[in-house]
Amino acid sequence: MVDFVQNLISGVAVGCIYALAGLGFVLIYKSSRVINFANGQFIAIGAFMAYALAVWVKLPVLLAALLAMLLTAGLGFLVERVFLRRLVGQPIISVIMVTIGLASVLDGLMYLTPFGSGNFTFPQFLPQGGLSLGGVNVSYPQLLAIGFTAIFLVLFSWFFQRSVLGVSMRAVADDQMAAMSVGVSVQQVFALAWAVAGLTAAAAGIVVGAVSGLNQDGLIAIGLAVFPAVILGGLDSVPGAVVGGIIIGVLQSFSTAYLDGLFSQIGLVGGGSQYVMPFVVLLVMLWFKPHGLFGTEEIERV
Amino acid sequence: MRNPWAQTGNYRTSYVQDTTIFANYREIVSVVLLLLALCILPLFLERSQVLVLNFILIYAIAVLGLNITTGYAGLISVGQAAFMGVGAYTVALSAPSLPFWLTIPLGGFTAAIIGFIVGIPSLRVKHLYLALATLAFQEIFVWVVGRSPALAQGAAIPVEMRNFLGLEIGFRNHNYFWYYVVLFVLVLMVIAWRNLLRGKYGRALIAVRDNDRAADAMGMDPGRTKLMAFALGAFYGGVAGGLLAYMQRAVVVEEFTLSRSVALLAMAIVGGLGTVVGSLLGPAFIEFLRLYMERLSEWMKSNAFIQSITPAGVDVASALLPLSFGLVIVLFLIFEPRGLYNWWRLLRSYFRTWPFRY
Repeated sequence: MVDFVQNLISGVAVGCIYALAGLGFVLIYKSSRVINFANGQFIAIGAFMAYALAVWVKLPVLLAALLAMLLTAGLGFLVERVFLRRLVGQPIISVIMVTIGLASVLDGLMYLTPFGSGNFTFPQFLPQGGLSLGGVNVSYPQLLAIGFTAIFLVLFSWFFQRSVLGVSMRAVADDQMAAMSVGVSVQQVFALAWAVAGLTAAAAGIVVGAVSGLNQDGLIAIGLAVFPAVILGGLDSVPGAVVGGIIIGVLQSFSTAYLDGLFSQIGLVGGGSQYVMPFVVLLVMLWFKPHGLFGTEEIERV
Repeated sequence: MRNPWAQTGNYRTSYVQDTTIFANYREIVSVVLLLLALCILPLFLERSQVLVLNFILIYAIAVLGLNITTGYAGLISVGQAAFMGVGAYTVALSAPSLPFWLTIPLGGFTAAIIGFIVGIPSLRVKHLYLALATLAFQEIFVWVVGRSPALAQGAAIPVEMRNFLGLEIGFRNHNYFWYYVVLFVLVLMVIAWRNLLRGKYGRALIAVRDNDRAADAMGMDPGRTKLMAFALGAFYGGVAGGLLAYMQRAVVVEEFTLSRSVALLAMAIVGGLGTVVGSLLGPAFIEFLRLYMERLSEWMKSNAFIQSITPAGVDVASALLPLSFGLVIVLFLIFEPRGLYNWWRLLRSYFRTWPFRY
């Protein structure tokens, strides 16, 4: 039982990372119907910038994290301005393919830095150990992941419910044409969506750095595991992204604990089922419930 | 009657004319000449150069398949390399007991069946979601291969074929032999592609891609049409993978990863989506780009000045490939979405009307 709860908690912590990265992803999808394949690269770049600022420039870790988040937001904004703005009016599939190309470009750029290979760990800024509750140990990085996600959720819901920009984003997501006709700048909303996506991706990357350490392939794999999370929750639902992320995180932690043995019994040796289970879920969701748990089903009228 | 040799514009005025393969005699002649040129080309080339040609032609087959799913049906596929892998592993497992002219189609059919299963969501959802289904399949494929002792856990499985109808295939003539096999298969696949897509089914695909609701209203079944496109595209991938297995004499999982799928997508985009000419030009462009990028990184490794300015731990060689592929995808999509095919078209019309401007 203690093991079960322990696995559950570490799963929730990992799931919070997916939830964070998924928030920005869903935002882009909601406002512009674009699937962003460069999300994993945003996560990696945000995390590496935080590392570079903290270790090379020797800023305090929290300041470095904040700056890295802002810089990655700037990168998202830039990507929208330079590449995607030119594709307004083109079919959506071209825009999606541009994000695939962009992912490749950003990968290449990261290989040009020392971060392309090897592992990096953030300087220790959290106390060792963690809280112990009835035999279950919650480490401080895990608490940080959960806390960070909670803070972002509160900020997001405030932003969408109260601020003018947030309301105009919702308006664009709902109906672009109608939003334009009441004076909402759709371009501004798109740019903002990309900036926020960069911000949340960087936040996710920094939490990864605090929980487990940085490695380019690992960070990009996290970006890929965000897809199952957002499909599970429903591509266009913000609470769905959080719930989906947490479910995928828990699933991963449970599959390491309980499924690896099962897989080796059917002849798939070597373990690591945590890497494949999210994609199995993604495929099964697309077969049976493609709009996810909280997504809106498209109802089309001619 | 117009002189069919001097005809320049598109004079196809009826449905029957529109479904013909060639508009005029000149096109027939140029295709025959191109084929002849491709047939005698290896006689002038070194073994290593033929190898490059082999890769280009094999990828051209896979890209033809991608051009059905992405080019005609408008479904982004980031899993074409995995479908190639299905074909290649089918060949690797069946090659000891079956001849190659059976294993390669078998690889294609296995890939088609799996493509059908992966494509099932297309019965319910629209194109955006399907990109994610192919991504999931790509990841699951690499994982399962890497965990299966029956597939050497992704390490090399040898695929040997030493003898064909009494002809000894060894070190010297291996590449040449497979060049002609690949060329033959490619021609078959192009004919099938053209015949499939010029008729009713191809038109249904275009209709579904451009407006699925209107297509539905006119009596087409968008879900079934897209599912077929998925299976067909996977079939082409499987055949290409099978050829690759024989050509490389081994199957390794590294050939069939996500980055290879992205490279195949780059080939399709650069060539021009939905065209036969583009399916040849795209792989040629990307393969030569890869070749020159590898040379460039070799040169950079041997150059003392560049070595002195690159920080320690930086691997320029592994950076250049994704960087150049990604840039090519992005730049072509922004500046020339119709791909190299469009340059080819403009070039032709320039020479056709020369010395006058078009």
